Amino acid sequence: MTDPTLIRNFSIIAHIDHGKSTLADRVLQLTHTVADRDMQDQLLDSMDIERERGITIKAQAVRVMYDADDGQTYQLNLIDTPGHVDFTYEVSRSLAACEGVLLVVDAAQGVEAQTVANALMAMNANLEIIPLINKIDLPAADPERVRHEIEEGLAIPADEAVLASGKTGEGVKEALEALVRLVPHPVGDPEAPLKALIFDSYFDTYRGVVALVRVVDGAIQTGMKVRLMATSTVTDVEEVGVRRPANIPVETLGVGEVGYIITGLKDPSLVKVGDTVTLAKHGAETPLPGYRDVKPMVYTGLYPIDGDQYPDLRDALERLTLNDPALVWDPESSHALGFGFRVGFLGLLHMEVIKERLEREFGLDLLATAPSVEYHAFLANGETLVVHSPQDMPDPGALERIEEPYLKATILVPPEYVGAVMELADQRRASFKDMQYLSATTVDLHYEMPLSELIMDFFDQLKSRTRGYASLDYEYIGYRESHLVKLDILLAGKPVDALSFIVHKDKAYARGRVLTEKLREIIPRQMFEVPIQAAIGSKVISRETVRAKRKDVLAKCYGGDISRKRKLLEKQKEGKKRMKSVGSVEVPQEAFMAILKVDE
Amino acid sequence: MGETSGRIAMPWDDSRPSLPRHLYIHVPVCRSKCAYCGFYSCSDLGSGDHPRLVRHTLGLLRGWLIPEVRRAPLQTLYLGGGTPTVLGDELVTLIKGVQAMVPFADDAEVTVEANPESLTPGLAESLADAGVTRVSAGVQSLDDDALRRLGRRHDSASALAALRCVAEAGMQPSADLMCGIPGVSADTWERSLEGVVEAGAVHVSVYPLTVEQGTPLAARIAAGTADAPDEDALVDGMDAAARSLGTLGFERYEVANYAMPGHRSRHNTAYWTGRPYIGVGGGAHGMLDVAHARACTLAPDDGRDVARVRYSYVSDPFPGDQPSPLASLELLTALDAAREDAMLGMRMTDGIDDGAAERAGVTDVMRSLADDGLVSHDDGRWRPTARGWLLGNEVFGRIWNAGR
Repeated sequence: MTDPTLIRNFSIIAHIDHGKSTLADRVLQLTHTVADRDMQDQLLDSMDIERERGITIKAQAVRVMYDADDGQTYQLNLIDTPGHVDFTYEVSRSLAACEGVLLVVDAAQGVEAQTVANALMAMNANLEIIPLINKIDLPAADPERVRHEIEEGLAIPADEAVLASGKTGEGVKEALEALVRLVPHPVGDPEAPLKALIFDSYFDTYRGVVALVRVVDGAIQTGMKVRLMATSTVTDVEEVGVRRPANIPVETLGVGEVGYIITGLKDPSLVKVGDTVTLAKHGAETPLPGYRDVKPMVYTGLYPIDGDQYPDLRDALERLTLNDPALVWDPESSHALGFGFRVGFLGLLHMEVIKERLEREFGLDLLATAPSVEYHAFLANGETLVVHSPQDMPDPGALERIEEPYLKATILVPPEYVGAVMELADQRRASFKDMQYLSATTVDLHYEMPLSELIMDFFDQLKSRTRGYASLDYEYIGYRESHLVKLDILLAGKPVDALSFIVHKDKAYARGRVLTEKLREIIPRQMFEVPIQAAIGSKVISRETVRAKRKDVLAKCYGGDISRKRKLLEKQKEGKKRMKSVGSVEVPQEAFMAILKVDE
Repeated sequence: MGETSGRIAMPWDDSRPSLPRHLYIHVPVCRSKCAYCGFYSCSDLGSGDHPRLVRHTLGLLRGWLIPEVRRAPLQTLYLGGGTPTVLGDELVTLIKGVQAMVPFADDAEVTVEANPESLTPGLAESLADAGVTRVSAGVQSLDDDALRRLGRRHDSASALAALRCVAEAGMQPSADLMCGIPGVSADTWERSLEGVVEAGAVHVSVYPLTVEQGTPLAARIAAGTADAPDEDALVDGMDAAARSLGTLGFERYEVANYAMPGHRSRHNTAYWTGRPYIGVGGGAHGMLDVAHARACTLAPDDGRDVARVRYSYVSDPFPGDQPSPLASLELLTALDAAREDAMLGMRMTDGIDDGAAERAGVTDVMRSLADDGLVSHDDGRWRPTARGWLLGNEVFGRIWNAGR
């Protein structure tokens, strides 16, 4: 156990791409935690997808020992957090394990939406915030402007902001000195019953669920009988240790210390992020504050292209859920697509990452339907239905009203793009709340809007209309009533359940028209004419036709062409396998996502 | 390959269809590449290399001539390319060289592919004297603007002159035409069809313009400097050809080929009816019965179920100089071969008989194609309908992939 006065627990927070992971790499190098020869980029991001996309999905903790200028050796616990809005709750739990943060801001990009969101979170958690202006080696770096934005926009004094470059390592030592000097050491009662916060967990095939914890009061030891308060689970601690970044067992974790415990549990749903670990007997009365169940926000249907892969998809989802309790899923079936699963995610990035992992790590070929949100349908008979899939929406006649989830969206843009943002917001049912100049170059806009509009390609649209300058953050603010209708799509006269979607009544005509046009472009010509219709109930609101194919023949077929021809036909057959036969119509996969690309 | 000594004679007689009676020689030389062409040819071979090319090609042929094959008279010889006529008098040397190595049937068909600009009256005379019976000329269009855009080296006048001089030399002129070229009107297309017939063509091949990957045309379309062919224009062009040439007395005997009675290409018909043929030259393909392929050590005799062997040479003017002269080798089972024959047979007006469909295991497929209006069944034969011809890939794909 280390004297708490020599412990500093901190996190690095930043907008995506502002250089958080590279900075963490430099800290590991400077403190000799990792030998230079073992160093690799984004060391704390262990998943391939994290490295490739340059994002952090799982929280991480690493202990480094730092010899400070005051002659003391400090135990620094760096808690690396996911940088994306999908994982806001995880970030807030990671912050709850810290006393301070390094707020990293790109010296060229300046303050962006997640900078604001993360800084607010750190303020709400009463953390010491040390601003760090990163990438000062860039030609476009403008530290003075960024300093001004931090002071004006975030009301954080930035006189003494650390100027650093994760690339060259400049300023990293100054950052560590500032941490030691400014971040308060942890305070807790070593005599009180154990209270430790679980800020992340993962599943180890051999050892079961491993929880990352921060001890607040008391101490935790190997062999101790503990209770996880939210789930009332009692278990024996099989091992206690610290991460450097490999797991190193230790005897005890005391007040303020960060490490891992091997719980001996095999069911990850029992070990929840945000929960409190205490003693099984004579434990703490009240848990640490802030725990809540993580709820999925975005739902999509995932179907194997080849129906035979259905059991494999189930196995793969079970495996991923072990490491990602936020993932929820239920079997679903569609007339058009067969058997699949309705899967709930924290957000769109989470959805993309999971789909990619299912395809890459498990060799599955998947078709995803357009994402949707959780609607609350209030029936005339007084019942309430929770609807995760448009195909489950009851008939309009049976409905009294529908409620949908709303968000508060924060958008930061240069002033010249405010008009473009307002126009997009208007198209997406976003109501303007307020606006504030953070600096001469950055405006902070606030909107309230339905989540269903946000998941419809909103971010890409925002980016393209602001030449990439806009940044976005959002938080959930609850359910509100909306006048929504279900729009059905019919191919060759038959409704295709997987293409149905829920839309605001005022938008239904425009979206129906654009979607049928889009589908006409996507669906290849077939042997026969294919009418495409959009309908609300029995009323057709738009119609397009894919004309029948007239010609599809290789004109020349002499000696040398024959082998080529056969291969072409075999490839064509493979191509057809990538499509879904819906009735007699061959539908390419992208058709099921077409609604996302509808730009009115 | 090419080792022929000490071989045991095969128990064949000359009438067996399994012996190759057809020879294809690829002359992979062009003066320049056309904008749409995706075939292999070499445009930088100087005329000084032509005698070597002829010797090399004959050397490749020798490798296939086991005694049984040497005794079976050739029914057709096709010199394709590339542009064989670029070889000039060396082309005559090549034909005579083949004649010295294998016997020809009395009524053998000998075809030479030609581009109009390289076909001089003098060359036409020498080719006719050497036994050439047909010349297939790449006319493509009688619209001079279109010819320039496609990168052809000739104009409409020289194309018509070439056809006339073939006829005057006593050979049968065949004209290749391309429909659906963007910018060519329906009227001009009609005139192209009538024009080549007036100039003496007794055989016309009509190909819709196809954009092959990696060609200059494909690049221009991608860059927006050329128009892509339009599906409706292509179909209308094919329909117009069937109508006009029909009026002029031509029979459509294959989806893209029209002939006056008695002037069908026997060589090409061999491809579509599953006859084995030897192919030699850089980039050339061949198809052999498995017994012949094994006798030439092309395919191992390892008890595998193989009926037919297809091979191709590497794309090089002198394939024998390469460590491996072959670029591909395919071993086909009896069922594969029957499928191929059924698929190719359905390119032809005559289609296939019930027995051929049965051997290929596609009788049910043919019935479903008939339900879709793509084939018809009369007098024990399955034949493509007009729509089935246009949607050939649907027909061929369902035949080839049946049950797979």
